Amino acid sequence: MSRPRLTFENLAGGYGSTTIVRELAGAAIAGEVLCVLGRNGVGKTTLMKLLAGYLPCARGRVLLDEQPIATLDPSARRRAGISYCPQERPVFDDLSVRDNLTLMRTSRKLAPFRRYFDRFPILERRLTQHAGTLSGGEKKMLSFVRGLAEDQPVVLLDEPSEGVQWENILHMEALIAEKKAAGVAFIVVEQNLAFAERIAERYLIMDQGRTMLEGSRSEIERSRVLEHLHV
Amino acid sequence: MRAASIVVLIAVALPFLLGQFWAYQLGLYALYAVAAVGVGLCWGQAGFLPLGQALFFGLAAYLSGLAFVAFADTPIIAVLILPFAAVAAGLLAYLIGILVFRRSGESGAYFSMITLALVLLAFQIATSWNSVTGGFNGLKGIPGLPGLDDISDVYYVSAVILLAVLAFAGWLYNAPIGVLWRALAQNERRLQLFGFDTNQLKAVAFGISGLMAGIGGAIYAPQQGIVTPQVIGFGLSADLVIWAAVGGRASLFGPVIGTLLVGSLTAQLRDSLPFWEVLMALFFIAIVLVFPHGIAGLAEPLLRRFPPRKRKQTAIVTPGDEAARPPAKLALHDVSVHVGEVTILDKLSVDFEQAGIFCVIGPNGAGKTSMFNAVSGELGAASGSIEFGGAKTSGLAPHRVSALGVARKLQIPSVFAGLSIADNLSVALWSGRAGKLALLDPRLRRWTSPMLNELQSRYPFLAAGARKAAELSHGEQQILELAMALLTEPRVLLLDEPCAGLSPEETAAVMALIRWAAQRLGGAIIIIEHDMSLVKELAQIVYVLHNGALLAKGSVAAIRADPAVRAVYVGGEK
Amino acid sequence: MDPLIVTQAINVLYGVSTLAVLALGLAVIFGLLGVLNIAHGEFVMIGAYCAYVTQAGGWPYLAALPLTLAVCAILGLAVEWIMIRPLYRRPFDTLVATWGLSLLLRKIAEAIFGLGYQSVNIPLPGTVELLGTEYPIYRLLLIAISLGVVGALIVWYGQSRTGSRIRAMVSNPELAQAQGISVRWLAALTFVTGTCLAGLGGVMIAPLVPVQPFMGLDYVLRAFFVLIVGGLGSVAGLLSGATAIGGVDSVISAATNAANGYFAVLVLAILFLWLRPRGIVARG
Repeated sequence: MSRPRLTFENLAGGYGSTTIVRELAGAAIAGEVLCVLGRNGVGKTTLMKLLAGYLPCARGRVLLDEQPIATLDPSARRRAGISYCPQERPVFDDLSVRDNLTLMRTSRKLAPFRRYFDRFPILERRLTQHAGTLSGGEKKMLSFVRGLAEDQPVVLLDEPSEGVQWENILHMEALIAEKKAAGVAFIVVEQNLAFAERIAERYLIMDQGRTMLEGSRSEIERSRVLEHLHV
Repeated sequence: MRAASIVVLIAVALPFLLGQFWAYQLGLYALYAVAAVGVGLCWGQAGFLPLGQALFFGLAAYLSGLAFVAFADTPIIAVLILPFAAVAAGLLAYLIGILVFRRSGESGAYFSMITLALVLLAFQIATSWNSVTGGFNGLKGIPGLPGLDDISDVYYVSAVILLAVLAFAGWLYNAPIGVLWRALAQNERRLQLFGFDTNQLKAVAFGISGLMAGIGGAIYAPQQGIVTPQVIGFGLSADLVIWAAVGGRASLFGPVIGTLLVGSLTAQLRDSLPFWEVLMALFFIAIVLVFPHGIAGLAEPLLRRFPPRKRKQTAIVTPGDEAARPPAKLALHDVSVHVGEVTILDKLSVDFEQAGIFCVIGPNGAGKTSMFNAVSGELGAASGSIEFGGAKTSGLAPHRVSALGVARKLQIPSVFAGLSIADNLSVALWSGRAGKLALLDPRLRRWTSPMLNELQSRYPFLAAGARKAAELSHGEQQILELAMALLTEPRVLLLDEPCAGLSPEETAAVMALIRWAAQRLGGAIIIIEHDMSLVKELAQIVYVLHNGALLAKGSVAAIRADPAVRAVYVGGEK
Repeated sequence: MDPLIVTQAINVLYGVSTLAVLALGLAVIFGLLGVLNIAHGEFVMIGAYCAYVTQAGGWPYLAALPLTLAVCAILGLAVEWIMIRPLYRRPFDTLVATWGLSLLLRKIAEAIFGLGYQSVNIPLPGTVELLGTEYPIYRLLLIAISLGVVGALIVWYGQSRTGSRIRAMVSNPELAQAQGISVRWLAALTFVTGTCLAGLGGVMIAPLVPVQPFMGLDYVLRAFFVLIVGGLGSVAGLLSGATAIGGVDSVISAATNAANGYFAVLVLAILFLWLRPRGIVARG
């Protein structure tokens, strides 16, 4: 149960000539959450984009079950088994909630979403509405459900709790726990330390595009984490 | 000068070398070449594509033809009217430019399509307005230019006109306005942020190109004796673009080479080789996709063996600024910005002091860069207002806001990559100091300023003027852009992540530069930063933005202690 | 009802509906992919020449359809791969490249068929009595086909799976890729749909206009004006633009002459560019 599914070694990259991320290494382990923490601008989203295939790796490797995937574009990585929920623009504003959920599925039936709707009934109520009319938190919930419902072995979440009410954050925690029990590997970027503490087995704390602190949650003191997060 | 004398010699000798027939042909094609130079100006220099240049060529041709027919007994009057025909064409082009560019923004497509539509309309009018234009058969029996009977006389008139236009174009390309056109083609937005009205610049370029086409057309009428709708048609417009491209649109002589070589060859081969034109079309596509320098590009390695003699040029210090502008306060009052259904800025109210270093921080999507965009006039505010030095700036076009003394360094390093370092710095020096007419004076390229000297001593690479900015490393480009912003001696300097992607040494250097600049300029420097070590070092006041509004303001220590800020950065139960 | 008014009204309807179909191809490519395919008119020309070739070969008129679709699809794929795909982020270079393409296609047509006008016989000649006036059957058929094609496309784009995926790709290409949509293939498919629609339009109007290599210019300009006035990226925009441009053109041309009609259209387009650049139905 604790084999690494997605690993990255010596990773470096950025936008154009600007290098944001340098020498990052880590792994998403089956059944566990790796939480990436750090202030804004340290390169967390850049890391996710490198893993999801939106940015080319200037250096280093990304391996899925030991196969190098650095040459695969994002849609190929999805087909290879990685689900990605981006931080910005998480849903298709012009499509209905239902279309957002079923876009790439073979059938438009909603039975597979029952367990998600039970926890987030608001999504079921808004099925026919354009996703653009949802609040920021609701969009994040929709994106979260879509990502998890893809049933892929690796899931990358970029700030899933942004704008989400606390009681729904707890539902997210429960759903993530169910997936972990089924052996899914997660990498989650988070700003909300309280949420991170509830879901993470391991931390990767970044600053200036580098790893400042990493290890299992039990090993790292909360005060040290706070030092790196706060202003 | 050497190159010029060689060209003149060749031009003079041609009729003797090639014979009467070719002298006649070249005499005609030299007039087309004049119009093609105009296309090269628009496309190769300023970066927009006119698809209907024959409109101006033909308009001037018809006007000139009508004048010569009307004053057949006193041709001298027609000769005096001739330049006005060309000027009319130029004015029309300028007006069209002003009308279209202001609204089409940076979309070249709208402009090109409108020029296409206009030339088709003109062709329709020329073909149907029988009473004035002679309709489909055209204006016939136009008397020639007085005193010129020999074919080689005709050639010499064309050659002289072509050489004069080339000299004019050469002067323009070398003058500051040429540098500005080339900068515009590379990064129009950036040029606006230096205070230049890019729509006006493009309209002027189009106007001059119309004038050039008009000059060719005006001579065409008496020279050929007949003006048919073909001269105001799509075919000639298309040919001008092809000739400019194949010859090399960005070079001075390229369009001429293209017209004379390809144009006259096509006239010869069109009937014997039916697929000649298909070949030319393929060739054009290849040039556009793969080899944009055209034939002139082939000559480049050859020309590099003959570098122009470097004359020792003394630098000229910029004319002193009229009373250095007093520092001013930047303030935003209840500014709201919406993009679609998303609220980017939510009744944002911020008051900055008039001097000092301030940092703006906040999570992603907090609206920091959007706030800068609103200040510089690139993002319209749905409500609220922005004031600078007591004057309202919200609603002003970006180049006007810049002219008030607002300088920016963008998030992604944006220098004019295709221009030399010296040209980049010159653009910054001219910003706010060079008057409209001064842009025609090549001496402005030698400007320097005490600030530039100080920057060059800190960063020697800034003195390697001839190097292209694209060759610089990422860190050097950041510094170049920062230097350019400083050279405008702004009252408020907006820096967006100035140290992104820099090594620790480069970061320290930039920080020192910022501190020096704050002292030297005496104005406000507002920095968006994520790097807390930088913020702690530099900031006198920190502003925290969240969800498009101001969350907190104060010293670094005060911000740290603020629970609202902590909640944003660390999160927690809500 | 006054037969003259009926005739004029049907003429306007004819003008608007055929304009909508002819602009459809450009609307798809410009509105969805953001690419201004200046060679759009030349694909219409290809359709018209295919109709001519079909008729010259003695085949039934409908055979022109598969021929046109084949030529426009293959050509569209090739163009998208060679010219459009490498230049997606450089709209100005795309403009120049497609202008070069339009030149090439015109010259090829000229080399094969010559500069002269070809004429294609109307497959359904004759008139029919309608509301007190006689009106050509073929034109009525075109009106029906145009409305049918536009209607079918509206339904398909709004309801179908592929339509949703195209909408997804257009509004948020990053997320579309994250969900496994191969944006490259979908974009190529969209481009080819645009070129085929243009070819279809050419087959439709071939019997009613002179078929010559330069015929395309008019159509690309009119289609472009439809999009400026109507607004990019929505069917409502296409229809309102076609109504405005087609309506103004038909009415003014009938009242005075074709050149005035064209002038009026141009003035309208420039007015919209000046006052309401995003068109009647501004998206987003």
